[in-house]
Amino acid sequence: MDDFNLEFFKKRREIIKTLIISPLISLFYPVHASSGILSSPIGTNRLRPPGAVSEEIFAGKCIRCGRCVEVCPYKSIIQLDIKNGVYAGTPLIIAENIPCYLCMKCVEVCPTGTLRKIKQEETRMGLAVINKHVCVTWKGETICRTCYNVCLFKDKAIRLDELRPVIDEKFCAGCGLCVHGCPVSYKDNLKAINIEPIYSQNGKSE
Amino acid sequence: MENQNKPQKNNPKYFNKIRFGVLTISFLIILINPFLNYYLHISFIQGWYQSLAVGKLWFVSPLEGIESLLVSKQFFLPSVIGMLPPVLLALFMGRVFCSWMCPISFLSELSDKTWNFFSKKKRKDLIILPKNLLWFSLIGELIFAMILAAPLFVFLSPPGLVGREIMLAVFFKTLAVEGIIVLIVLFLNLITRRFFCRYFCPLGGLLAFLGRKRELKIIKDDEKCINCGLCDKSCPMGLMPSKGEGKGLYCWNCGKCVDSCNNGAIKMNFNK
Repeated sequence: MDDFNLEFFKKRREIIKTLIISPLISLFYPVHASSGILSSPIGTNRLRPPGAVSEEIFAGKCIRCGRCVEVCPYKSIIQLDIKNGVYAGTPLIIAENIPCYLCMKCVEVCPTGTLRKIKQEETRMGLAVINKHVCVTWKGETICRTCYNVCLFKDKAIRLDELRPVIDEKFCAGCGLCVHGCPVSYKDNLKAINIEPIYSQNGKSE
Repeated sequence: MENQNKPQKNNPKYFNKIRFGVLTISFLIILINPFLNYYLHISFIQGWYQSLAVGKLWFVSPLEGIESLLVSKQFFLPSVIGMLPPVLLALFMGRVFCSWMCPISFLSELSDKTWNFFSKKKRKDLIILPKNLLWFSLIGELIFAMILAAPLFVFLSPPGLVGREIMLAVFFKTLAVEGIIVLIVLFLNLITRRFFCRYFCPLGGLLAFLGRKRELKIIKDDEKCINCGLCDKSCPMGLMPSKGEGKGLYCWNCGKCVDSCNNGAIKMNFNK
């Protein structure tokens, strides 16, 4: 009986310890959200608006005021709901629906600095990646250069190499205009060219 | 206030009308504004009471700003400057945001008015909890947000949700599921008046804490008071202005007791 009580109190002491210490720890170290209701909604063609801070602290920094959503003239930015766990209310751009036109209005209005004030050409929402097994030009079926035509940084971010599109990661802002324009789709939402959010830390990609 | 010296048969009952007017205007701002933004592209005013921008003037809700600061451990000057006006307002006037501007307050009051229109039955406060629960919900919310590494009030706050639902409805012709929280909060009013505001609103807790040494207070003139108890019945927060609780921490300066008094014994007083 005594043993049991001792165990019990030891356990209780542990629990109380963790209850007191974990907030204290979290006071001084940023904790990184990773799984479950804490998993990030970003991924292939699911992008944060321009100038977004690293995904690890995005949910902590954004106050979900929705002003980037309201100010976006193209209605590119949507606001997530509670199905995304703690990311509810954060802004997201679904590139194949409405891409970002890089008007940079949202970074002007963000009150918390979650979207940093950056220039258009400094934007790195992700990197466009061409799926050469799907792209009709790369397969040699026909000559399509929609992605090249719609690109804001034509001949820099996307250039034509023997009539085939090639991405230069030095210039690609990851706005998703090429994804939106691309006529070839496969699987569910994927196109022959997709944006991978490689600059935000814990994004999942397909 | 000024008409103290005049002989008063009827105390003029203007306080609640002014307050309800201010509440209505604050609600109309967040109701009409998404339409202006969406259809006319006038973005002079943006956002709702989580962060409201009027031209170049930005306001940030203090609790949301503090949560963001605590969780991300990053200091951002515009956000802190945006928090200053609401914080100063709370320091001098107490919880006036709650009773004079909050959309939840507006909706509660609207439902109260509808109730009174259809039924003459007086509603009683069925569940009375200790008032200091407010502090627990404030501290608990902050600690929980830090453990989760994600602020919670920013996407679960009822006043914020009202604004977000209106925006979503106008912009995307849809509603978010969490809007049900607003309905729950309004439904809880049936149990006890302002049940959520009284005991659970962390923002209200923060504003009450900031306003603990406020200048604007409800004071009672003992000479004029006839102990009728009307003020105690009128208080939506369940306080007792007759016992001087209008000066206390939990009063949100709505002025219902001022209007309820037939003898002009209760006044709203600045700096005393």
